[in-house]
Amino acid sequence: MSSNTSPFAPSTAKPGHGSIVVALLPPNTPVLRTVSYQYPLKLVAPDALPPPERDDASTAPSLIHTVFLLTYGGGIVAGDSIHLAIHLETKARLILLTQGSTKIFKTPDPALVSQQHMHATLTADSALVYLPDPVQPFAQTAFSQSQSYTLENGEGSLCVCDWVTSGRSARGENWDIHEYKSRNEVWTAPSDTDGPSKKRLLLRDNLILDSHGQTNMPLSDRMDNYSVFGTLILRGPVFASLSAFFIDEFEALPRIGARNWGDGVQLEHTPQEQRRHARQQREEADGLIWSAANVRGFVLVKFASRGVEGSRNWLRDMIREEGSVLRGFGERALLCLK
Amino acid sequence: MSAVHEDEKSLEHEINELERRLKDAKSRLNHNGRIVGPGAPAKDAALHALLLLSDSALPLGSFAFSSGLESYLAHHKASPPSASQLSSFHTFLRLSLSTLASTALPYVLAGYRRPHDIELLDNDFDASTPCTVARRASVAQGRALLTVWERSFKRQYRNRAAHAKESPEADTASSNSANDTLSSFAAALRTSSHVSGHLAPVWGLVTNVLSVPLTEAAYLFLFSHGRTVVSAAVRASVLGPYQAQAVLASPELQQRIRNLVEEGWNKSVEDAGQSVPVMDLWVGRHEKLYSRIFNS
Repeated sequence: MSSNTSPFAPSTAKPGHGSIVVALLPPNTPVLRTVSYQYPLKLVAPDALPPPERDDASTAPSLIHTVFLLTYGGGIVAGDSIHLAIHLETKARLILLTQGSTKIFKTPDPALVSQQHMHATLTADSALVYLPDPVQPFAQTAFSQSQSYTLENGEGSLCVCDWVTSGRSARGENWDIHEYKSRNEVWTAPSDTDGPSKKRLLLRDNLILDSHGQTNMPLSDRMDNYSVFGTLILRGPVFASLSAFFIDEFEALPRIGARNWGDGVQLEHTPQEQRRHARQQREEADGLIWSAANVRGFVLVKFASRGVEGSRNWLRDMIREEGSVLRGFGERALLCLK
Repeated sequence: MSAVHEDEKSLEHEINELERRLKDAKSRLNHNGRIVGPGAPAKDAALHALLLLSDSALPLGSFAFSSGLESYLAHHKASPPSASQLSSFHTFLRLSLSTLASTALPYVLAGYRRPHDIELLDNDFDASTPCTVARRASVAQGRALLTVWERSFKRQYRNRAAHAKESPEADTASSNSANDTLSSFAAALRTSSHVSGHLAPVWGLVTNVLSVPLTEAAYLFLFSHGRTVVSAAVRASVLGPYQAQAVLASPELQQRIRNLVEEGWNKSVEDAGQSVPVMDLWVGRHEKLYSRIFNS
């Protein structure tokens, strides 16, 4: 039997399945207990780094783990199906990254939908940063993905982004897809495992781009000349200050349709006001619009821009300016936004 | 083999012939005027309820919101400013109906079909509403509909419920128990912080209790929204009042709504979602407008 000649232990994992577990070695050293995967999924875990800022009295974890989500061939081929399970034990910190946009390749049949599903469970005091590159569905693709997060007793912290582009704009592709679906869900579940019925939906953000809707418009018209759409979901104590920052900056946006009467001219601007003003000018130039809302214990940020770089730069600048993610997780957290 | 086939054919032929004669006889009977009369009372009651719900004052509170139209127009400034925004409006109406059908219609259908899940549906709809502006509008209208039910309809319908019912669309729950569910949901709204009272699931439940057939309930839900948007357009000076009536009367709108109901008929609430992502931004940024005539 040829399979017995393999020098590696037989794997029970199914194709496309993967698993990541970050456990805690007391008192506060998180370890990557499991990183397993099967073709076409690939996970790469570089050495964990200590967080840049950690005061001595802090009970915060001493190491931040990072995992890259990759696929063979650099994208998802028609019919691929990927399932990733993540579990973060208490105090665990994890940065999830991608290496370049997730390319979705052409399907021979619109009914053949490629799938990518991720399910993460978070416990109290754990935190996940997932700021990937955007998904880039090429023309004539059918793709469906879901990201589901279960928070034990509603605790745990999330900073996760989900964004999609109009395709290969250099080739003139402009939402020429068959179908694109992306679902983000956050659930709360009690810590005792005997009550799956007690699961309660906290947030569902479901994007459905297909030919339905009776609009008699091509998808590109429905997108109103935007080529990027994204959602950033923030929750929990670890990202409380980042959440507040997004809300404050949204409040501070200039009013749409306001006229400049010249009487609002301030003689001196604080550095913060100058940065804010410069960023708002870039938003304008990049055709970027966004909104932020406090919803059921989350801050939900929606953004859209004319080009990919507009959104990428904006997201990076916002997170960088606020600073808490860089201090708590390091530069790596923003690797996909560079 | 072929003989069997022949037999079947002649039988079919005979059936068709008999059906034709039956129809013929029936129509002659009607023409004689002997049993020409109003429809069944149950059908009348449903029609009456439908007319009640199609009052342009309902959903109460919709008058104050523009469903994103005002923000959309501000994001699509005409140049020169005096130019007509009519074509923009037509685009918006299509997108708005599409969004409503993809996000809310599944909850109307589920609220009607599964009255007892109303609290779950209400929670999940709340979890799926991404911005505060849309949430305020949905909750204001849902609560107002519940209040209309409590204060105005309930007493009228409680006693009739027993005979006015058996719609095949509803599950096994009798209309009495759907009625009870509605009452306890209205009570929960006053006591529990987890209950919001969103329009879509409440609309489904109320139309169930009023014995409106589900197709009509869904059609009216979308039509009412269309009318709300058209009415907002009149107040925003995009449409004249006669143009507005023409939009509402157009076969195009009828066909669109009918197709949306059909398209969404079997869609589960888990698959409800945003089909026009920029809509969330328009609605969410409404509160950033410098001048507003609608609530946000």
